[in-house]
Amino acid sequence: MTAFSPSRRTVLLGAAAALAAPRIAGAQPAAVKLGILQPVTGALAQDGEYGRLGAELAINEINSTGGIRALGGARIEMVFGDARSNPEGGTAEVERMNSEGVVAVVGGFASPICLAASQAASRYDLPYVVDVGVADTIVTRGLRNTFRFGPGFGKVTSGALDNLVKINEAAGKPARTVVVVHEDGLFGSGMARLMQNELPKRGFEVLETISHPTPARDMSNVALRIRALNPDLIIPSSYYAEFVLLSQTLQQRRIRPKGIYCVLNGAASNFRFVREFPQAANLVMDVNHWADPRKPKTAELRRAVEAQNRFWLYNTPLNYSAVMLVADALERAGRADRAAVIDALGKTDGSFTRHIMPYGPTRFENGQNQAAQAVNTQVINNDIKVIFPEEFADARPVFPWPAN
Amino acid sequence: MTAKDLLPIALFAAVAALLPLFVTQNTWLNFAVFTLIICLAAQGWNILGGYGGQYSFGHAAFFGTAAYATAILQMRYGMNAYPAFAVGVAAASAVGAVIGFLSFRSGLRGSYFALVTLAFAEVFRVLANASEVTGGAAGILIKLDVRPANFQFDSRASFYWIALGLVTAALVVTRALERSRLGAQLVAVRENENAALALGVDALRVKLSAIALSAAITGAAGALYAQYFLYLDANIAYGTWISVEALLAPIIGGAGTVFGPVLGGVVLHGLSEFTKTLVGRIPGLDLVIFGVLLILVVRFPPREIPGLIRMWRARR
Repeated sequence: MTAFSPSRRTVLLGAAAALAAPRIAGAQPAAVKLGILQPVTGALAQDGEYGRLGAELAINEINSTGGIRALGGARIEMVFGDARSNPEGGTAEVERMNSEGVVAVVGGFASPICLAASQAASRYDLPYVVDVGVADTIVTRGLRNTFRFGPGFGKVTSGALDNLVKINEAAGKPARTVVVVHEDGLFGSGMARLMQNELPKRGFEVLETISHPTPARDMSNVALRIRALNPDLIIPSSYYAEFVLLSQTLQQRRIRPKGIYCVLNGAASNFRFVREFPQAANLVMDVNHWADPRKPKTAELRRAVEAQNRFWLYNTPLNYSAVMLVADALERAGRADRAAVIDALGKTDGSFTRHIMPYGPTRFENGQNQAAQAVNTQVINNDIKVIFPEEFADARPVFPWPAN
Repeated sequence: MTAKDLLPIALFAAVAALLPLFVTQNTWLNFAVFTLIICLAAQGWNILGGYGGQYSFGHAAFFGTAAYATAILQMRYGMNAYPAFAVGVAAASAVGAVIGFLSFRSGLRGSYFALVTLAFAEVFRVLANASEVTGGAAGILIKLDVRPANFQFDSRASFYWIALGLVTAALVVTRALERSRLGAQLVAVRENENAALALGVDALRVKLSAIALSAAITGAAGALYAQYFLYLDANIAYGTWISVEALLAPIIGGAGTVFGPVLGGVVLHGLSEFTKTLVGRIPGLDLVIFGVLLILVVRFPPREIPGLIRMWRARR
């Protein structure tokens, strides 16, 4: 696809038009109100902003390409809510969105916000589409209104382990010993426990599990311990700053394992890390949400995001896809009615192709998209490439790392 | 305690109870319920901090203990929500007594007491974050099963009335404390602990009773929070946010007065909601305005709102 394809131009034009004239009164069919819930203040503000960006891009694109056809070309009107990085904030905003008559809510980002907000929405049979929140409990509570297009924690981690085995086998089994480094808080400890239980079953030997606090100011001891243990593979579960520190320390001390394999890492699939610390980031692997690199729309969206001087993070494609999912359900429901949309969301199938995630044909079971999966990414030549599964990959894994 | 003492409380409860008849929008009821939960937590703080002069920065320890106890008893031991609520409140009270015993017996006062309570709350937060029984990082979810028998209601108004009932009960308890021997001794300890000791007041016993009562009331707020939002994790239950909310409301509304915490809570949250609607859609701007207003309220003495009203009246 060339850089000046017509559809990209339409997207940009649509975006410009929407920015220049947010309210054009006209004799159009009534706009469909869609609630977009993101934490744009507080600790999760950055993630929330990138989520909102994805939703905005999707809404602009829908509106500039004829709106919802089944509703006579009705435009989608965004009703934005700031979840303030906490569950009460999310609940309060869902209540407001409900009173403003939205047909569905998309977003939430963090699992606690998704849990509380989807529950508040369920009181009104208001469809709620989770964008990121991976807690498995989100879709196991039996809420009819709650849907998740992306994968849950269980799916991500089991996929991560299976893919590790496959990548290792394809490379001729260079890795046998592992050191797990994890932050001692919420998600790190859980992940470390899982790795300790599951890796030996898959033929890996866990030499040691090293924990560190968040925030950590120094990783020298961890690095020295790793040097002494000399593992083939390092599996870190840390947040952004700590992982950056660890990978930098490893690089300074010239500790080069055969690979660094992260799962849902705060940094490894983040272009900020790649831009700011290109050498430390080089060849780090991660299992995370990521957009399908083979779809032309992905490149188009990425250019639109980067044109705004923003990074390309997974929040944007996930929210873009979740809004497209609701639009698709509206087309099939044929009316802006909550019950009809819930019904249509549950019946979504492979004909929904306007999303840009690397998933197979969509199929919902108890609100969870069964085709959703995380993919393996690797930082190669200052870019984040998908290396596994093969059908979505745009690069081959560099594993084991070259010796120099 | 005379009928005259209870009249303002009865009046407040009656007027507030009528609110859902006029305000049917759930947006507002949700806001009102959350405000009442904060008011309740603040009333607990007021007993120890306002009347006893023991400024705690760690009321999250009580809020979180009751919240977790309520949730865990229901989810892991299948207990009904109402007894679980009661056990949660009792557990918070017990934790209060233990923390109080450890710190008051060591003679910790003022900022030392504040720091120790802060540390206790943090320890609880870290433990809850790592432990299995609290669900660790993933948190704990109370099963959604909307039936009055489960302490879950279809309408937000029912919750509002329950929260209001608890706030009213706490008001009555505070008024009773104010009029009781214990209350007088508590104020004596606040004003001058050494003088109170010299007059034969058992300061340790008085402070322990106060912290147990205080923890129970803040615990009730925590248990109610768990029952209302049905989800907890360590940062919600034991996070510093609730410790700050619990002490900010009485300090603004008037610490050591019966209505102080309620007034402060309503003003604080009303202000925050007002600024939210005022500035509309620019994220964060309302928080800035809220912060500025807060500084103005605290900056100009007499600090509390009743004091401001008195000052204004005196000028006229």
